[in-house]
Amino acid sequence: MATVKNWQLDRQMDYPYEEHRPKKQWAIVFDLNKCIGCQTCSLACKTTWTSGKGQEYMFWNNVETKPWGSYPLAWDVRVLEKLGYQHWDKNKPYSGKTVFEAADPAEKAVHFNPQDEDWMYPNRGEDDCTGNVSGGKYLTLPHDNWFFYLPRTCAHCTYPACLAACPRKAIYKREEDGIVLIDQSRCKGYQECVRACPYKKSMYNPYTRVSEKCVGCYPAVEEGKQPMCVQNCIGKIRIMGFINPPWNAREDNPVDYLVHKKELALPYYPQLGLEPNIYYVPPIHANREYLIQMFGPKVEEVIENYKKIKNDPITQGLLVLMGSTDNIIHRFKVSEGSAYAFDEKGDQIVRVPVTEPLFIRTPWDEKLGVIRNNTP
Amino acid sequence: MKKIYALMVVSYLLWGQGLWAEGLIAKYVKEDLSKLNLEALFWKEVTPETIQLIAQPMVAPRPQKTLTEKLWVQVVHNGEWMAFRFKWKDKEKSEAGPLGKFSDAVAIQFPVKEKEVPPIFMGAKDSPVHILHWRAQYQKDKEKGFQTMKDIYPNMNMDMYPLEFANQYSHDEMLKKITEEQREVFVSGKSAGNPQSFQKIKGVDEMMAEGFGSSSVIENTRAEAQGIWQKKGKEGEWVVQISRPLALEGGSILKAGQKSFMAFAVWQGGEGEVGCRKSVTMTWVPLIIEDKK
Repeated sequence: MATVKNWQLDRQMDYPYEEHRPKKQWAIVFDLNKCIGCQTCSLACKTTWTSGKGQEYMFWNNVETKPWGSYPLAWDVRVLEKLGYQHWDKNKPYSGKTVFEAADPAEKAVHFNPQDEDWMYPNRGEDDCTGNVSGGKYLTLPHDNWFFYLPRTCAHCTYPACLAACPRKAIYKREEDGIVLIDQSRCKGYQECVRACPYKKSMYNPYTRVSEKCVGCYPAVEEGKQPMCVQNCIGKIRIMGFINPPWNAREDNPVDYLVHKKELALPYYPQLGLEPNIYYVPPIHANREYLIQMFGPKVEEVIENYKKIKNDPITQGLLVLMGSTDNIIHRFKVSEGSAYAFDEKGDQIVRVPVTEPLFIRTPWDEKLGVIRNNTP
Repeated sequence: MKKIYALMVVSYLLWGQGLWAEGLIAKYVKEDLSKLNLEALFWKEVTPETIQLIAQPMVAPRPQKTLTEKLWVQVVHNGEWMAFRFKWKDKEKSEAGPLGKFSDAVAIQFPVKEKEVPPIFMGAKDSPVHILHWRAQYQKDKEKGFQTMKDIYPNMNMDMYPLEFANQYSHDEMLKKITEEQREVFVSGKSAGNPQSFQKIKGVDEMMAEGFGSSSVIENTRAEAQGIWQKKGKEGEWVVQISRPLALEGGSILKAGQKSFMAFAVWQGGEGEVGCRKSVTMTWVPLIIEDKK
């Protein structure tokens, strides 16, 4: 085991390979307050990548309703159960064990092995609330009864458990963008990656007899485009970009800005120790204990930061850039009521107004002398 | 824990060395060994040797306990072909297929370079080994053809796969010409040419390896294999024959009247054994090839 730096845990940790950060690291930020669970991302991914034989139940991108939904069945509960109780004090390094540190010497990571039927209910628990909203209830924040949608792709982790567990070394992390791929010509279908990935984002294809996973839409990324799940998000809740570790964070990089500068987004289940690269703006209405379990002890602070956005035109500008372009935004700026996005070369991709201009359409049309109505 | 493992390995090595000082004798027979016959009469004249196996102890992920402790092996040759007949206890037949299901399997390993015995655990860089790997899954391929989704999940229903709308009945001339190969361009394992994604017509894979996790399949193997699982009371057992030409060019070359070495591995797929999760021999077993009479 090597000792590597995991900034999400604010400490060194054990990992089977030496620390080696790619030149750029693929990352997505999701604003969970805006996800409506429409599954357009799931379908965009499915029609692009997983419509073939052996992929019938394969969703590289899925959206599950928390807390009851899960795909595969109870993946999160079962992984946490296997890891056991771990402790993490607020504003302190993680004091518990990661999946690598808690592993039996015979294994690379603490894991469970989902069975065939666990993959068969991708929309289990969809839209289920934690409890009934009975008469006399009124809204509080956080809500007494709640649910939220959790869209998930592969997190293209800095320390992937799939890669660590593959005895054939058929999984690799790309130097140029940090995307984690399974070599389709070398995989022998041992499903060690399926066992080891705590997020269960490696999936076995029984037709080709090899494992597959989210490819981060690397052909699009190579062309400077965001992945299909991001491009097609109709709620405009996602932005894909390249994240730097905090010591190299750039304020004009949209992902760095959201994660490091403003601390609006957090990785999910960081305690597992993989340094996952999908980040979530936590839902402000959901149960805090649940959110702490999922996003770590910083979550309350992050929610407070989110509530302050109403007085922060720069963050507002960045949030309106989300979903405003198919291209990867390498740099952004907000000035004079407009948000600007730039590509890798520094060319402007898009300009959007931070606040949409408001036009008031009076009910009475002076020119025609008629009452306007909305009936077609 | 590590100390106990080390002690186990050392004691096993010492014990193994003594046990295999003489080795397995490949008896000379005047039979056609390229044809597979598990019940051929000559097998009755060869005493099965018991090979002790141990849960693979060297690399993680590894099995927690030894699931196959004994492997019974018989070897014969006719000057051109060598045949192995294996028997081991396995309470259920596992042929893989659905997610999370693995195949029963057996493998034999040979050194490649003459007068050099590579490290037992699948060789090392510049010290390759040659492996014959039979799987129940491959055997099913051989007998019943490549397993389609309908074979694996008989009750499944699927409306349409990509490009399936295009066939010889299509109105568009171009769509009529869509080939199966073009349809399968989106089937990544196949389009990447992964040998796992194609039918195993011989029931056995021939592989080269230079260390753990490095095995690569040799195309057009000449080896043949056949296995049968039979129920024995509450237990069950596999009987598998693997036949190979003595000289496999590009692999291992065996010669009548000479000595070589072998190592073995067994997987119980039903118990989740696959890849490194296997029972193995911890020392090379000498193979004495009888001279032609």
